[in-house]
Amino acid sequence: MILAIAWKNIWRNRLRSLIVIAATAIGVAAGTYSASLMFGVATQKINAAISNEVSHIQLHHPRFRENYEIQYTLPEAEKMIRDISRLPEVKSVAARTIITGMMMSAASATGIKINGIDPVVERKTTSLYTKISDTSGAYFGDGLRNPVVISQKLAEKLNVHLKSKLVLRFQSADGSLIEGAFKICGIYRTSNGMFDQLNVFVRQSDLAALLGNAPVHEIVVLLHDNSDIKKVMPVLKQKYPAAEVKDWQELFPELGMLTAMLTTMNYMILGIILAALAFGIVNTMLMIVLERSRELGMLMAVGMNKHKVFRMIMLESILLSLCGGIAGIVISFFLIQLSARTGIDLSAFGQGFEAMGYDPVMYPELRPGFFVGTVIMVIFTGILSSLYPARKALAINPALAVKNE
Amino acid sequence: MEIIQIKDLHKTYDEGKIEVHAVNGISLTVAEGEFTAIVGPSGSGKTTLLNMIGGLDRPSGGEVIINGTEITKLSSRELINFRLNNIGFVFQSYNLIPVLTAHENVEFIMQLQNKPQTERHKRTIELLESVGLGDKMDVRPRYLSGGQQQRVAVARALASKPRFILADEPTANLDSKATANLLEIMERLNHEEKMTFLFSTHDQRVVNKAHRVITIEDGIVISDVEQQHIVHPSDC
Ligand SMILES: Nc1ncnc2c1ncn2[C@@H]1O[C@H](COP(=O)(O)OP(=O)(O)O)[C@@H](O)[C@H]1O
Ligand SMILES: [Mg+2]
Repeated sequence: MILAIAWKNIWRNRLRSLIVIAATAIGVAAGTYSASLMFGVATQKINAAISNEVSHIQLHHPRFRENYEIQYTLPEAEKMIRDISRLPEVKSVAARTIITGMMMSAASATGIKINGIDPVVERKTTSLYTKISDTSGAYFGDGLRNPVVISQKLAEKLNVHLKSKLVLRFQSADGSLIEGAFKICGIYRTSNGMFDQLNVFVRQSDLAALLGNAPVHEIVVLLHDNSDIKKVMPVLKQKYPAAEVKDWQELFPELGMLTAMLTTMNYMILGIILAALAFGIVNTMLMIVLERSRELGMLMAVGMNKHKVFRMIMLESILLSLCGGIAGIVISFFLIQLSARTGIDLSAFGQGFEAMGYDPVMYPELRPGFFVGTVIMVIFTGILSSLYPARKALAINPALAVKNE
Repeated sequence: MEIIQIKDLHKTYDEGKIEVHAVNGISLTVAEGEFTAIVGPSGSGKTTLLNMIGGLDRPSGGEVIINGTEITKLSSRELINFRLNNIGFVFQSYNLIPVLTAHENVEFIMQLQNKPQTERHKRTIELLESVGLGDKMDVRPRYLSGGQQQRVAVARALASKPRFILADEPTANLDSKATANLLEIMERLNHEEKMTFLFSTHDQRVVNKAHRVITIEDGIVISDVEQQHIVHPSDC
């Protein structure tokens, strides 16, 4: 009953209510839409990292990741690969030889990480091969001797082109320096500048020819589904107690925490928007109480108790903010649908995004959970905004309010 | 049986340096079934007196005993509940909730009393028909005339099954036809339902209808008389 009266009451001054609702709607739409953009960016970054680079799970010698020292290899890697491949959740498994070293062109030199891979297996596991444009060569396989795939960034830095010659220099396990001449067969470019700056790819077999053997430093495991990580991790840990088994969140903690951090931040931004809107709602509710003081006095005179009066004012405030909140969410929902397909291209606004590892085209991501959280916060805003006006309403003296003047 | 009993009632307003003795020692009793008018010029203390009897205002001194309960001793929470269940109110204006229909306005009081829906519905229809508004059930107050609004207010006041109805100048905003009509309805309810009415007025035509007239001036009773009444043929 009180809910019905409260609902009818907010439409008594239609224009005023609509203004409050519109303001709330715009604020909530802006807050939730910008949140969806940030969530989208985070998801893009995480997905890119998983598919280009990390995969879901990696195995190393427990000391390998400290300094990438060549002697910390995974023993019996071939058997491990075979066994892991048999797990039903596993999509593919790739083994890598990883050596830090120098890359030199005629013009200059730079420190890099050499990834010795099996192109056929690697293609199934990571999608770096898709990051080579049609005019930038190919991901191995055109019969060149000692082919190497480097990034656009490194190519510019070393002033080299497709088919240019490069020298890779590194130390072998016994400390002797090894040098090999390679020819650029492909140039890639990902959205993660830091990754690009560091990583070059050669065939594991070519490295083996230089080293005399093919040590395996890293086994990367791609699963069918990200959510299977929880199931596969304990299995691998138990099976290979001598190895370090880590999922992508552990390997890149900043990626793992990105979503949680963004969620907190987005709720804070929304909170600030709602706090600003609350002033408008408080003001409106105070006007409502003032205008209706005679009516409120009459209601208390005829026997409506303070609880119910309080509840009525509070419900009016909640309904006002909730109407705005829901309208805002609907607007934001359509904006997300509208821009999710094409994305929003920010490359015109600056080159900084890629350098920081972000894709310049943002795709907003719909998060129903965040919408639910938004609705709860909106209701909370309505409640808080009504406290002071509702107390004012209770202070009305029915005797004065019903006086015959 | 006495429903209202007031003893040496005082109300003093402190207006800066001047003290206003709006009610200055009134004692009287009202028995069940009375149809009594409080009469007096503007500013004589009628509203102040009725508000104290209705538990809307606290006296500065004296007692108000309604149906055996000394209401000035009730907490404000108890007082609201007491008003809801014992007193029907009709004010001069601002009686109704504008967003509700006539039906909903009458029903509202019974909702506050947590009466079951079927009972509420039945009683609302009965009451609105008895005040001649059977055809205006679903109309909101602003589409009703002043007289019709006051009749809804009377129906609303009756809805809670109060011990008596307190009406402060219920006809002050009405034309003579609507006044006569409202008085006729009140009188009939008094006669047929034995509902006690205590109302204030400064309109002589209304005074003429009352069975008992209490005249106050400057916050004290100056006369209290029973009036002979012309019996309507329909009353026989
Ligand atoms: N809230 C108040 N504060 C101060 N004085 C008041 C107040 N209410 C009424 N009075 C004074 O009390 C006297 C009686 O007023 P009231 O009971 O309204 O008379 P009536 O209803 O007969 O016109 C008047 O002099 C009025 O000015
Ligand atoms: Mg008065």
